[in-house]
Amino acid sequence: MIFSAIFIMQLVSFRFTLNTARNSIIDNNKVLLSQLVTQIDSYIGNMEKLADAIVENREIQYFLENVGEPNLDLRQSIENRLADYILARGDLSGILIAGTDGKLLTGAPDGKINPWTVIEDQSWYTKALEANGRTVVSTSYVQNIIAGQYSWVVSLSRSIISAEDGRFLGVLLVDLKFNRINELCRSLVVGRRSYDFIIDQDGNYVFHPMQQLVYSEIRTEPVGEILKMLENHNEDPFFDGEHYFTAAASALTGWHIVNVTYRGDITTNWQWVQLSYAAIGLVLFIVVGIFTNKISSGITKPVRKLQDIMKSVDSGEFHLVGRIEGTDEIRELAREYDIMVTRIRELMKENILEQELKRKSDLKALQAQINPHFLYNTLDSIIWMGEMKQHKEVVQMTSALSKLFRISISKGRELISVTEEIAHVQSYLTIQEMRYKDKFRYLIDIDPDIHDCIILKITLQPLVENAIYHGIKEVDHQGFIKISGRRDGDDIVFEVTDNGRGMNEQQLRQLVAGVTAAEDNRNKLTRQGMGVRNVHERISIYFGAQYGLSFKSTAEKGTTITVRLPAMTQETQ
Amino acid sequence: MKNLNMLFISLLTALILFIFLSVFYGKNNPKELSLDEPIQIVLKSTEGQPMDFWDVLAHGIDQAAKEYGIQVEISGPRFEREINRQINILNRVIAEDPPLIILAASDYKRLVKSVEQASGRRIPVITLDSAVDSNIPVSFIATDNLEAGRRAGSEMRRLITDSPKKGIAIVSHIRETATAIDREAGVREALDGGNIIGTWYCDVDQEKAYRITLRLLNNPDIGGIVALNEVAALGVARAIDETGSKDNMIVVGFDNAIRELSYLEEGVIKATVVQRPYNMGYLAVKTAAEYLLGNRVESFIDTGSVLITRENMFQREYQELLYPFNPTE
Repeated sequence: MIFSAIFIMQLVSFRFTLNTARNSIIDNNKVLLSQLVTQIDSYIGNMEKLADAIVENREIQYFLENVGEPNLDLRQSIENRLADYILARGDLSGILIAGTDGKLLTGAPDGKINPWTVIEDQSWYTKALEANGRTVVSTSYVQNIIAGQYSWVVSLSRSIISAEDGRFLGVLLVDLKFNRINELCRSLVVGRRSYDFIIDQDGNYVFHPMQQLVYSEIRTEPVGEILKMLENHNEDPFFDGEHYFTAAASALTGWHIVNVTYRGDITTNWQWVQLSYAAIGLVLFIVVGIFTNKISSGITKPVRKLQDIMKSVDSGEFHLVGRIEGTDEIRELAREYDIMVTRIRELMKENILEQELKRKSDLKALQAQINPHFLYNTLDSIIWMGEMKQHKEVVQMTSALSKLFRISISKGRELISVTEEIAHVQSYLTIQEMRYKDKFRYLIDIDPDIHDCIILKITLQPLVENAIYHGIKEVDHQGFIKISGRRDGDDIVFEVTDNGRGMNEQQLRQLVAGVTAAEDNRNKLTRQGMGVRNVHERISIYFGAQYGLSFKSTAEKGTTITVRLPAMTQETQ
Repeated sequence: MKNLNMLFISLLTALILFIFLSVFYGKNNPKELSLDEPIQIVLKSTEGQPMDFWDVLAHGIDQAAKEYGIQVEISGPRFEREINRQINILNRVIAEDPPLIILAASDYKRLVKSVEQASGRRIPVITLDSAVDSNIPVSFIATDNLEAGRRAGSEMRRLITDSPKKGIAIVSHIRETATAIDREAGVREALDGGNIIGTWYCDVDQEKAYRITLRLLNNPDIGGIVALNEVAALGVARAIDETGSKDNMIVVGFDNAIRELSYLEEGVIKATVVQRPYNMGYLAVKTAAEYLLGNRVESFIDTGSVLITRENMFQREYQELLYPFNPTE
């Protein structure tokens, strides 16, 4: 994209420079041409004034009026005057006055008239007659009027009319050295090969620096087109594929002065321009190339690196980007990505940990479900009661046991309703009450509001078990276990209170530390301690660290274990 | 890797642009010739009147050199008859190893050896005005002298019909020069059946031509003289003019010295065959330039000739030819 833009820009500007240069050269040529026209016109104009002076001269008129009289003195005087004119003006080749009676006055007194030249046949003579008193400007030609002299001239000729009676007296010829015009034409050109040439109204050459080539048609000028161009007042130069032709018309002479400029001259130095353009182009390309490279490596490289790193997510590896070279946006992106990945990593780690804990808690729940000690003690009791023929008790205990297990299994669900949990603990208490006859009493006081709430199964039973084995069993008086439950804001709170042995502060601290400490650095707990701790762990895994157990205990007075759970019903779970 | 490719592509594109710009625009421009050394031009004569044949030819050379922007160096003996001197000059020029040599050979045979030597040094040679007896030169730029001779011959044939004396003499300028050989052959061809008495050689000496003519005037059979070059024509015409025998002798000459043209005006010379030396010089250098540019060049370029009589001598189109304009005048 950028390259083609540069490319096009280069071409356009090159063309533009080319055209500008061409136009400036052509404009310059026009200026020179108009200068040339002015100079030629002023030159010819001066000569016309001279002709006026001669034609109106009284002496000359008198001399010509007196046809047939030799008037030798007067002739001498006039010829001297003409010679003075020629002498005074270096650009005059000759002056000649042809009278009607064959009298010839020349400004070259010692020059002999060429006997072979017939004056009346000369074009300057016949044209002057036709022009009837106006000045005629000839084209350039070789004047052969003086014997042995062949000079290139441009002639001004006009009839001499008598001031007295309007009679035709003769013809005045003023020959201008063609060299003067030649010099003018050759001096006012620019460019190595440029040249000017002059054509008259009919397209005949007045001046051409390579006249011989033109006449032998080695070189041809598009005279027709140039005349047409002048006719149409065309401002643009005529271009024949190789040369530019600019023309200007001289009003006084009727000549057209044409400048020829070679296309090659305008573009002579173009090799250099081309070369410098190409060099600039080359430098631009390299610079742009390097810059785009830099920029792209500044943008794409970090982006690509980012991309590569992000791709690693697909394969499960969460690499960090770390420090990266690039723009602010890229660095920001990389930073945000790193934060995100770090968070994901943490979450994943937590997730893995949690999964593991859950697995463990499941196992623990299973352990709680099937407490072999409890089972065989209970079964012992049943056998013993059976042997004692206490059938009613056997039935009661067996059905309680059956209920206990049904609920603790509860079709593999972890969460059950509070009602079910109550039933579960009730069954447990029924069995234990029967085993420890009158050893304790109990009271279940659960707010019916929370009956529909869900609870992690086997939450209360281990606590009751703890109350029995570590509280009540150790004291002599009849124990009392109270299980209460109520809503507390968004939570539900259960309390298992016993009036057993209780714990002193150190024991309590030990228990709390044992229950809440991380798995690795906890001291061995008793089975009962383990049961309580399992409950706590399971709750905090399931519902979060803010949930779980708390303990209150006074030695010899009893212990209260509080369970805090989020209030959720089956529906909201 | 990808970045390297990018750099490579940009460099490549730049290169293409560079080539495109220089080649495309270079092609648009006319080829320019640039030479370290000037082209060497060896003429027959370097000393003459301003605006004589060789001077005008040199003007043509200058014009073409200017147009093609090349340097040329003109040398040659002072006089046309100094053949040995021309050979020496040519050999010296060859030793300089110029890019090209343009030669107007003053002898058809004696310069062949030098031309071969130039060829041996791989210097191309173009012959101008007068050829050499060799096919080494890549081009020959000259008046078709056979044709020019025919022009003179047929004019003589036309003019002699009214003359009581039918004998025709040929005054040639020099033996063994191609121009003289061809012109004579052309004259003889055109006058086939006419009474050609013989050929006299003036050795490019006007005085000798004058003396030959005085003798020829004593021959009552001779009614016409064809003078084969300027020097011969001037010698012949002077003899006729001085003896006042212009009405008894028809003279057809060659070339256009000012004096010759005066004789033409006076009727001493009836017609003259004029070459185009300006064009010759111009075309020789042009051909040289084209050859060095590697363009094909013609092996022979006829620069043409014109028959000038008293009637057409002041026609505008011949004036520049007959009276070459001298800008320094």
